[in-house]
Amino acid sequence: MIGKASAALAAMMMLATQAYAADAPSEIKIGTLYASSGRYASISMPVHSAIKLWVDQKNAEGGVYVKAFDKKIPIKLVAYDDQSNTATAATLYNQLVTQDKVDLLVADSGSVLTAPAVTIARDHKMFLFDQTGTGASFFSKDNPYIALMADPVSTIWPKPVADFITHDGPGLGIKKVALLYSTNEFTGTQANAVRKFIKESGAPIEIVYDQGVPTETTNYTVIINNIQAKQPDAVIHLGYAPNDIAFLRNVQDVGVKFKMLFCIYPGLETELLEKNVGAKGLQHVFTYVPPQELEYPVNFGMKMADFRKAWDEKYKDGKIEFGFNSVAGYTTALVIEKTLSVATSLDQMELRKAVFSLSGNLKTLDGTFALDEMGGQIGELTPLGQLELNEHGHIKFVSIYPHETATGKPVYPRP
Amino acid sequence: MLYPLIAGVLFGLYFSLVGIGLNLVFGVMRIVNLAHGDFLMLGAFVAFGIYTAAGLDPLVGVPIAFALFCVAGLLLYWILVPRLQRARDPEMLSFILFFGFSQVIEALTTIVFGTSERSIPSRELANSLSGVRAAIFGGEATNGPFQIFGLSFPASWVVAATVSVIAIGCVYLYLYRTRLGTLTRAVMSRREEAIATGINVDRVSAAAFGIGLGLAAVAGVFAPFMFGSFTPAFGIDATVTSFVVVVLGSLGNPLGTALGGVVYGVSYMLVQTYLSSWADLLPYVLLIAILLLRPSGLLGRRVRVA
Amino acid sequence: MPDTLRHYLFIAVPLLVVLAVLPSVYNNHLLLFNFVIFFILAQGVNIIYGFTGYLPFGYVGFFGAGAYGFALMVMHLNSPAPVAVLAGGLVAVVLGLILTPLLRLAGAYFSIANLAAALAVLHLIANPALESITKGPYGVALNGTFNPTWAYAGAVLILALTLGIVVYLKNSSFGLALQAVREDSFSASMSGVNVVKMRTIAWLASALVAGLAGGVFAWYVSVFYPDNVFSADFSIFAIVFALFGGVATICGPLIGVIILYGIYNLIGFTTPQYFQLIYGLLIMGLVLFLPAGLVSLATRRGWNVP
Repeated sequence: MIGKASAALAAMMMLATQAYAADAPSEIKIGTLYASSGRYASISMPVHSAIKLWVDQKNAEGGVYVKAFDKKIPIKLVAYDDQSNTATAATLYNQLVTQDKVDLLVADSGSVLTAPAVTIARDHKMFLFDQTGTGASFFSKDNPYIALMADPVSTIWPKPVADFITHDGPGLGIKKVALLYSTNEFTGTQANAVRKFIKESGAPIEIVYDQGVPTETTNYTVIINNIQAKQPDAVIHLGYAPNDIAFLRNVQDVGVKFKMLFCIYPGLETELLEKNVGAKGLQHVFTYVPPQELEYPVNFGMKMADFRKAWDEKYKDGKIEFGFNSVAGYTTALVIEKTLSVATSLDQMELRKAVFSLSGNLKTLDGTFALDEMGGQIGELTPLGQLELNEHGHIKFVSIYPHETATGKPVYPRP
Repeated sequence: MLYPLIAGVLFGLYFSLVGIGLNLVFGVMRIVNLAHGDFLMLGAFVAFGIYTAAGLDPLVGVPIAFALFCVAGLLLYWILVPRLQRARDPEMLSFILFFGFSQVIEALTTIVFGTSERSIPSRELANSLSGVRAAIFGGEATNGPFQIFGLSFPASWVVAATVSVIAIGCVYLYLYRTRLGTLTRAVMSRREEAIATGINVDRVSAAAFGIGLGLAAVAGVFAPFMFGSFTPAFGIDATVTSFVVVVLGSLGNPLGTALGGVVYGVSYMLVQTYLSSWADLLPYVLLIAILLLRPSGLLGRRVRVA
Repeated sequence: MPDTLRHYLFIAVPLLVVLAVLPSVYNNHLLLFNFVIFFILAQGVNIIYGFTGYLPFGYVGFFGAGAYGFALMVMHLNSPAPVAVLAGGLVAVVLGLILTPLLRLAGAYFSIANLAAALAVLHLIANPALESITKGPYGVALNGTFNPTWAYAGAVLILALTLGIVVYLKNSSFGLALQAVREDSFSASMSGVNVVKMRTIAWLASALVAGLAGGVFAWYVSVFYPDNVFSADFSIFAIVFALFGGVATICGPLIGVIILYGIYNLIGFTTPQYFQLIYGLLIMGLVLFLPAGLVSLATRRGWNVP
């Protein structure tokens, strides 16, 4: 009797697990967009290529482990090209959700191309894996369907810069600061953040020049002259890569030497800047230290050196820049991988819970993953560093602030 | 105040060069070359190619680009334009045609070269002449910043402005001193009468088209130095600004384009100084103001009123 | 049955019915919505270019003005969406009134000035100085009005209105007078046609239609940056679609949108890089070989296509 019962029980359990396994999809569909042309191609293609690298790597191992079905399932990457056009992007995001019915929705790179996804994801109640869209307006208390993966939110990103100026600055003799920014959401919000941090610190720092210029500006000669006239002790330029390139070149062209100059993109797209501005033009420039220049402690995924090797092997022709954005794409992939390994189902809110559970615990080559309650990334902050020339005349990073991760002292004022 | 003025004159003279090609094409053929900026971009690639592939001073690109695109212009003219003139509304259709053409150029360039920014180190421009410059103006032969009234300006700006003045001077000589040029002016002012007097309008127009494209490419050679970097997509903005310069200075008048460029350049630099975030509004405000207040341009030649 | 009613019943109504029904069988609602928007915009271009001969290269200016009119009403006055859409249309008409002096210019001058005006409006709205009103370059995020279903219905309604205007123009003496003005304004005015008044009415009608479309677009997407609603793509596509199908007809722009926008959405996915190339070549081919549009293939044979 007991034998029969236990046999029946065993049979039922087997049937149950078989039915359970039968529910598992044959592949996990991840939907995303990329921009192969247009203004945002240079930040989108590295991110996308990193995702592809991860997908190929995982599929070679048989797939990614999905806890919901307790097995490895191969990934299918459904990706469309939005050509840097937001209306196209909106149509395509919609297509991914309604036609392709993807299991996970991942945004394109940059705030502008992420913006359409925010509303669409929310409308269809799909959780959006926001890769690098740092726009503050995306994250609000009443929208649970989003989290920022790999870049800090614009309202917090410049904190290391502002803190260096307000804490270490007075000691170095920094009293007057010039702030120049491009008027778009990414850099405009950062400019607001810098201003706020400086004011709230109470340090004796005065902002003597504070101007916004259109994002399309490619000519800074007169502006540089105007800044120079105010004799600032530090100049902070917040713009996109083309703005930084033009600004740094113009500074060289007119032969001006600012005592301290901070730009964003020498850190985020070093190869591109070095190619267009030259190593000499970047010498002594302050910038963000990207994750590939530091060895963060890693508890999941490849370490930086291994990732670099895998990247170089896969993308031999060097057409797509390895740098900050490729790390961002890989970080997103790691978050997805870890999420799938802890989420109990593929239900969107369950995925959200799983993502948020990683906050503070997941340490990747990009730093520590940490989210605030609205989904904004408050971890993975990039320290402030300075660029110097190594023995071969190429650029090397010296991390300056915060002091815990510093590898050297700042060269101030610029010789 | 002096700095923006001088910078504006230098910058503006460059824009005169950008606009002069458009002036010729529009003035002679009433064809709106919306692909003008894309030829600028191609000229930039020529300079880039010369520098990276042959290691030569990009200044060498000026005659090469001019010759290359002059010929291209002549070819394009014979392929595209005669059909256009037969249509009901050639002016409007040329808008669309050249827009399509601009998309084709941009697409092909992107496919071949990719989208990333490219640039050329500023010191390379006219590097071969730095010895000459040191001899005339003193200082070392390093092609560093140029001093005007004790203020520093990028050397590349001075070179671009100089070439621009020479180019505009050449166009002026062409139009007012050569036979073909006089015929061109005839076609510009009264097309039908020109045909009636037996002028071979097609030949004149083809020549103007070729020269126009050649000049655009020459302007493009300096673009990497004036704009910091360039991508295949930057042509469109250049086209609109060229129109502003041309319309400001009056159609068909090369000196007018020079003036238009300088007015634009100085205004831009002043706005950048005093109202920096409004700088991008400037070209459009100038254009609309001129079209409504003085449609024949500052040097007043022709007016088209409906 | 009078022509007007006949045309509306047999062309407009079936299209509207199909559009109203499709969302329940086809999931990609955003695509359908975009189709409706382009139907409206192409017909808007038809009204102004097909009937009066002015090519509105800056047509998107009205579209964007309508979108921001909607946004401002919702953000500052908390008005319900339908009212805000009407306000968007009104804002566009006001902009059209302000820009009426541009109608004094002819041909390419008008087109460029129109383009400059649209860009000027864009840069005005996107300026950070106006951040408290328009949110400047930081983009608009509207809460509380998000309702794609109703927005779609609104769009179909606006299309119905637009088609009504076009059918009326095609069949009325008003429309005939407009076409006379387009062909030869001097003769038309000598026949007693009030040239200025007619043009202005057509201009404002096309502005209204674009403004309403912009308002309903803002309603649908709820999150947009200035660049999105002032994108030159809207003007370009609308013009090309209308020209491809054939202007001054009712069916032409509709056919143009269906074919070209359909192709755009099909190959836009599979051959991204080459898409721009194909599109550009298509545009060039259109202008060189079929300048009067697709509909002319039929009218050449004597068939009467409305």
